[in-house]
Amino acid sequence: MKVLFVCAGGMSSAIVVNALKKEAEKQGVAMEAEAVGTPSVEDEIRNGWNLVLVAPQVRHRFDSVKAIADEAGIPCEAIAPRSYTPMAGPTLYQQVKEYIK
Amino acid sequence: MNSFVDFLDRRFSGPMARLAEQRHLSAIRDGVISALPFIIIGSFFLIIAFPPLPQGWEITKWCADHAAQILIPYRMTMYIMSLYVAFGIGYSLSKSYKMDPLSGGQVAVAALLLSIVPEVTKDFGFVIPMADLGGAGLFVTMVVSLLSVEVLRFCKAKNVTIKMPSSVPDSVSRSFEALIPVALVIGIMTIITVVFGVDLHSLMGKLVSPIVTAGDSYLGVLIPVFFTTFFWAFGIHGIAIVGTVARPIWEVYLTGNAAAVADGASKLPYIAPETFYQWFIWIGGSGSTLGLVIAMAFVMRSKYVKAVGRSSLLPGLFNINEPVIFGAPIVLNPLLMIPFIISPLVLATVAYIATDIGLVTPTSVMPPWTLPAPIGAYLSTGGDWRAVVLALVNIAISFFIYLPFLKIYDLKMLAEEKTDGKTDAALNQSGTTESF
Repeated sequence: MKVLFVCAGGMSSAIVVNALKKEAEKQGVAMEAEAVGTPSVEDEIRNGWNLVLVAPQVRHRFDSVKAIADEAGIPCEAIAPRSYTPMAGPTLYQQVKEYIK
Repeated sequence: MNSFVDFLDRRFSGPMARLAEQRHLSAIRDGVISALPFIIIGSFFLIIAFPPLPQGWEITKWCADHAAQILIPYRMTMYIMSLYVAFGIGYSLSKSYKMDPLSGGQVAVAALLLSIVPEVTKDFGFVIPMADLGGAGLFVTMVVSLLSVEVLRFCKAKNVTIKMPSSVPDSVSRSFEALIPVALVIGIMTIITVVFGVDLHSLMGKLVSPIVTAGDSYLGVLIPVFFTTFFWAFGIHGIAIVGTVARPIWEVYLTGNAAAVADGASKLPYIAPETFYQWFIWIGGSGSTLGLVIAMAFVMRSKYVKAVGRSSLLPGLFNINEPVIFGAPIVLNPLLMIPFIISPLVLATVAYIATDIGLVTPTSVMPPWTLPAPIGAYLSTGGDWRAVVLALVNIAISFFIYLPFLKIYDLKMLAEEKTDGKTDAALNQSGTTESF
């Protein structure tokens, strides 16, 4: 399972990425996740990601990110504001879970 | 209150955020951002040339004697930043049109260079006045970069290109395709600059000078500060929106101050480059939340508030505050939105006055924004210890502005935790939607 996080510069998502990874480890699921800024999505998207998650603070760019994801045939979801904290690993995991193959 | 907040989000912050995503504005934003590493590194040579050490020391004297040489990396990066920005804007705009980004970047650079008339000197032959490629040339850069890529696009859309037979290799035919649009851009720019002798740089300078003056005034500082936190209060990345519009002007201030430092001027021309906001106002992130996070972690009693405060403390030290903005939450939480907006306005006032009356040196160096504020403030002012004091004072002020509001929120959360035994579950879910 590979999840690509998208925020403004890839900085804040890194914190949330760690929360998700920790929860996945707890559940015994192999999870790869990385954070990038919106300008890098287009270059990054073809690198084998299974899911794209867009941070709440760049939700005004959600449509443009989704368009890129759609073109690559990868599901794209917005992260709820409440799930975007270091403590929200479990809620975030719930959101990601259904995409685990 | 909640319906009012909802109304603002739907009618105001949402549409404005989408406006900032407009193609040309985004291209300018990404183009300017692409030059930042060169500005950050280039500006550090100002500190090396004028180290914050006692005047009498040998090393200080040595640096002063060799300032011109030490500053060469600065002259070739930050001092001519428009050259880098032109390529970045041309690249980004072409990419957004799904055209060859390399051609876009190159044609933008050509257009910028052709806005300048080289001078002939006896010793050096042809010479480009480097200042035209600096911060002051940024507005010309923005306009000609966008227009030259539009010419490329026009030619492509109208099929005004030299078509090669399909047997010709792709890279060869692409270079031919670019011939006509490149000729058009070069032709237009040559007619403007050489044939008509129009000096775009002085023309644009006159045009934007009211904006440049206004943006450095007290009100010119308060407005971007307000809008940055206003957007964040709705959970939208405020700097990403406000910076799209304001960053070119902020770069003019920063490069102007840096040039003054490099020339050994005693008084710097501008108060408010982006670094002013970064190190004196956005301490801990937008909304000056380091004071808030300290109060949450060490003074409050509710388990939830404490836990969010502690987990946000370390990121906050490095000016990353999404954890507290979405965790506390501040977003759409009227109680915390108020100090989140007020506190930066107060810090801006204090910092503006302190800089204006000469208590603190204006900023001229751009350290990476993830440094702790006192360190960043010290470096950014070229080593002024009073900037460290100002940063610390501002952290204290924001702490006390957040405190009363936070106290109310803390009591509310405490009461909820008492009646509702599911504290731990709430902690795990970070679910506080019920509370606002």
